[in-house]
Amino acid sequence: MSDGEIWATIIALALATAATRSSFWLIGDRIPIPRRIHEMLRYAPACALAAIIAPDLLLGGGQIQLQLSNLKLLAGIAAIGFFLITRNMLQTIVFGMLSFTALRLLHVF
Amino acid sequence: MEHHQSSWRAGLAVGAPALFGIAAWGLVVGIAMVKTGLSVPQSLAMTLLVFAGSAQLAALPLIAAQAPIWIIFLTALVVNLRFVIFSALLAPHFKHLPWHKRFFLGYVTGDLSVALFLQRYPGYAPELGKLSYLKGLLYSNWWAWQAGSIAGIFLGAAVPSAWGLGFAATLAIICITVPMVQNRATLCGVLVAAFIAVLGNGLPYKLGLLAAVIVGMASAMAFEEGAEQWIKKWANKRAEKRAGKQDEKQGDEHE
Repeated sequence: MSDGEIWATIIALALATAATRSSFWLIGDRIPIPRRIHEMLRYAPACALAAIIAPDLLLGGGQIQLQLSNLKLLAGIAAIGFFLITRNMLQTIVFGMLSFTALRLLHVF
Repeated sequence: MEHHQSSWRAGLAVGAPALFGIAAWGLVVGIAMVKTGLSVPQSLAMTLLVFAGSAQLAALPLIAAQAPIWIIFLTALVVNLRFVIFSALLAPHFKHLPWHKRFFLGYVTGDLSVALFLQRYPGYAPELGKLSYLKGLLYSNWWAWQAGSIAGIFLGAAVPSAWGLGFAATLAIICITVPMVQNRATLCGVLVAAFIAVLGNGLPYKLGLLAAVIVGMASAMAFEEGAEQWIKKWANKRAEKRAGKQDEKQGDEHE
């Protein structure tokens, strides 16, 4: 791509961000959402977050990796346990990164 | 609505721990932009203007492959479709604001901020400090993302990918998702969404992510209604039984 085309692409991407993120902020009044649909939408953030992280935890090279050599899955499960006990996000992030790095460097599995 | 200091601080405090994850995620995207061959000014413009990690990551291989701009635009649009749902969830809270403020708030809304805001304010009733709370979440999220991304643009090549820094973002998201699972319906939705996301990971335009959100929501809703109906039926049966027993008792007394 030429420089100019890349700049045009960046502008197009910025428009795509604005069009989606600001959509209902701008036209929400004109589009009434049925109550049942709205009740369903309440589940969207949790589902989106789960959908963002699941491939990172479970996939490797396009395949589902459920064996012990999947270090991210191991460290992720350990981090969930750690968070359920401590309820501290920052400590959990540090704990999870340390677990992941330790497993990676020590070649435990 | 004027600035509400304590809510602004509360928003900052709630979002703060996740900022490390956000910055790490931004770092990964910053590195990816430079590695794709974008110049430093182009990378900076992209992160500052586009500010959408998953759309940027989806667009970069297309830029490298010289795809037509309209294809890249459509791809980003589809990758961002979940934000349409998020905007439908947030916008009703701030109907009273002028359009340019609403536009701006929508434009800078990230995934995590939506989740954290709705945890604190599930209802639409106007409350003092709501806007300041949201701004505390959004602005700190924006700065953390940009700081990480800009760091990635300038010194990304020095960070080995084996370190798996992007994993910090996954960990931050875990910590935000776990407390959101407050009932079985949400758990059902989260598990279904994770399952669909893994199955649909190879789909183009990140459609697996969108499908995961939609099927996950629908499953949670179906679970909620199914469970509710079951509980209602059960309650009705008990009430009937009780009424039946009372009738018997009354009958006994009459004899």
